[in-house]
Amino acid sequence: MNASNGPMPRPPVQAPPLVTPLQTAPASGTVHPTMISVRGLDFHYGSAQALKDISIDLPARQVTGMIGPSGCGKSTLLRVLNRMYDLYPGQRATGEVLLDGENIIGPHVDSNQLRSRIGMVFQKPTPFPMSIADNIAFGVRLHERLSRADMADRIEDALRRVALWNEVKDRLKSGATALSGGQQQRLCIARTIATRPEVILLDEPTSALDPISTARVEELLDELKRDFTIAIVTHNLQQAARCADRVAFFFMGELVEVDSADRIFTAPKQKRTQDYITGRFG
Amino acid sequence: MSTHASGGAASAAAGARAGWGDPAFAGLARLCGLLVLLLMGGIIAVMLYGGRLAFSTFGIGFLTRSVWNPVLEHYAALAPVYGTLVTSAIGVVIAVPLAFGVAFFLTEMAPGWLSGPLGTAVELLAAVPSIIFGMWGFFVIVPIMARDVQPALIHSLGHVPLLHPFFSGAPFGTGLLTGGLILAVMITPFIAAVMRDVFNAMPPVFKESAYGLGSTRWDVMRKVVLPWSRTAVIGGIMLGLGRALGETMAITFVIGNSNRISPSLFSPGNTIASLIALEFPESAAGSLKLSSLLALGFILMVISLITLACSRLLLRTGQTVRR
Amino acid sequence: MSATTLSLPARTRSTTLLRRRRLIDHLATVLCGLATLIVLAVLVSILWTLLADGLPGLRWRTLTHVTAPPGAGGGLLNPIIGSLIQVVLATAIGTPVGMLAGIYLAEYGAGSAFAGAVRFVSDMLLSAPSILVGLFVYLILVEPVGHFSGYAGVAALVVLVIPIVVRTTEDMLRLVPISMREAAAALGCPHWKVVLLICVRAARAGLLTGVLLALARISGETAPLLFTSLGNLNWSVSLNQPMASLPVTIYQYAGSAYGDWVQLAWTAALLITAGVLLINIVARVGLARQDSR
Repeated sequence: MNASNGPMPRPPVQAPPLVTPLQTAPASGTVHPTMISVRGLDFHYGSAQALKDISIDLPARQVTGMIGPSGCGKSTLLRVLNRMYDLYPGQRATGEVLLDGENIIGPHVDSNQLRSRIGMVFQKPTPFPMSIADNIAFGVRLHERLSRADMADRIEDALRRVALWNEVKDRLKSGATALSGGQQQRLCIARTIATRPEVILLDEPTSALDPISTARVEELLDELKRDFTIAIVTHNLQQAARCADRVAFFFMGELVEVDSADRIFTAPKQKRTQDYITGRFG
Repeated sequence: MSTHASGGAASAAAGARAGWGDPAFAGLARLCGLLVLLLMGGIIAVMLYGGRLAFSTFGIGFLTRSVWNPVLEHYAALAPVYGTLVTSAIGVVIAVPLAFGVAFFLTEMAPGWLSGPLGTAVELLAAVPSIIFGMWGFFVIVPIMARDVQPALIHSLGHVPLLHPFFSGAPFGTGLLTGGLILAVMITPFIAAVMRDVFNAMPPVFKESAYGLGSTRWDVMRKVVLPWSRTAVIGGIMLGLGRALGETMAITFVIGNSNRISPSLFSPGNTIASLIALEFPESAAGSLKLSSLLALGFILMVISLITLACSRLLLRTGQTVRR
Repeated sequence: MSATTLSLPARTRSTTLLRRRRLIDHLATVLCGLATLIVLAVLVSILWTLLADGLPGLRWRTLTHVTAPPGAGGGLLNPIIGSLIQVVLATAIGTPVGMLAGIYLAEYGAGSAFAGAVRFVSDMLLSAPSILVGLFVYLILVEPVGHFSGYAGVAALVVLVIPIVVRTTEDMLRLVPISMREAAAALGCPHWKVVLLICVRAARAGLLTGVLLALARISGETAPLLFTSLGNLNWSVSLNQPMASLPVTIYQYAGSAYGDWVQLAWTAALLITAGVLLINIVARVGLARQDSR
């Protein structure tokens, strides 16, 4: 259930007007080139196979929602796309994930450089133990040398894009951990877009947030897809319906169906998809 | 189709083109880990190497005889080893009930406002430097032992048939019993701190369900908490024992400095550590005496390491069982 | 059970059994309280003795005059300075080494046998007899050189600092959530920068506590200095010479037959204990504040 439909407490000061659920953009008209193309991807945690022969395209400047029951592999796919699995021994991916024609899970890819092109936002907000401004500057400094003024501009720009600027512009030098949960998550999104990635991966970004903060983040996605290609994993079907242009349904490590959000939620081709979205399991 | 298997955080990052930062840092950190191993290996090796003259001169007799005669250049380890084991045993026997009482009091009995400051006080006692315990023992405890405790023990236990050899002799105040007492006072806060942490680590639901059956605090401690934490508690006691075995300064002041084995707990004695501290300044470099002291150091190292290794293994098993 | 009801009527419960259990519980309470009182009494007795015997000798001239022969009105200046030099240097050298080893255990050593060995040995080194560390350094740094030195004293203390810092560093880094590491890595941050810029920063209060505890621990160490820096009755700040320290001075003076030396030993004991306990309290308060955040 998405609570933003229900009664809500008054938003805090300076909050923008409440968000109305976004209309799902019809997948007709404009043609979106493919940003990332996954071909025949298998993934193993040790001996357990978590993804089986996945093939999916992420269209540029579109939001792709990934749904499915817990443990179905949707988060795993996200963590393959920016090679997060590199951090852990015993996890391995085989197949092809093409970004600009290059297989990014190949052995000669610099994972740190890759991650500057494919940013990620996590379930729980993860502000670093430093000031708000430094949180954003941290990621930028890893990849670019900017003058003070340029950095200040970059920070302001990133915070404005996530609608956090007005809330924090007077305390940029104070600790980020003092922010509320929703503010922290928007800061993490700002931190990611400040590094100017091409793709943003969001792993259940609103599951730890209250309804108002959730609505803000959803509204934000609609803004961000003008500039970025977005993949979002969510447990919340309404959220997928509201935010995603295309939706992929995963089940037990397999990609069951991927189509426009409209068709997935109104006329799924597969019985398993139908059962899931009508709440028969999961 | 390409395959890429990653092998751990460090190697995975190293596999990428990103340059030397990660492998260099990982290598440096690993080197520092290696240094820890080398330090321990070095201490053992140097002790063994320095004691080779004593081991080759006296052979197995170094371990089995109790003579320590600088005039005749005859040295053997039994007397200080005996002193070390007896004082440590006395220390542990006195410390364990005290530490258990403190830990039980802190975790189950003391009200919240009291257990915090009390816990801090116990930790502060553990932080007091050992030489302070030595001075305090020498100036405060030794007179009490000489005037009150030892005469009383001689009068009461000195005539009990089986016990009298242990409680006879002149009440100087110093000796093995006093040494063991000071050790007990020193290691009690250590053991108590470990026990308290172990007791606190138990999920409250176990205790609550026992209380729910109408158990008293003592029932819960004896039937629920102790069986559940036994391994780790023994590990904590071994840790205290390890500290007692190697303690130097607290003992040196009160042990009496004598290298004879006497059954009486009032008689002066020596531990390995106190003998080294007292005799080392009078040993010439390269002498048989110095070599004997180093050989003693090697023996002490072996005894301590076995104790500490047991302690760590028990504490770790206790932890894994709990998780 | 053949009975239709499982409940035992209150009357039939054994009151003698309950009374006995209660009596034992009361007895245990009294004994445990007594044990706590004994331990507290020891602490109070030590502190009282130190204050009663140490305070009378605590004058300005004690702190500003160098040690002197009995009866010549010496002070504790060189042991104080000597202790400060050796302890601070040893902490400064031992901390980075210990932190790197702790970082290795927490960040790189998962599941490796080598890391397991390092962890095990470091924990044993933590409780190994400190006098043997003194002997070890004597044999490798004093005997070959031919004389005792401040360097050797510092080296012995470094060996004691390292395992303390290793333990706290590993423990504190493990408290940093994985999500923080992943978030930094997701920005394209190389692992070593994740560790140094994010994890160490997140754990800084705990790490500082570890360093302070190490500092306190070595401040009172006597045995490792006896055969390394030896002590020096004359004014000297050269690390290449024997160097005085408060604990060794206490050891030399407390057992002497001269009243003024014994008095100085008490004053030195008061100084060192006050310093050590103060550092401990500061460290614990700092850690408590970190925890509550």
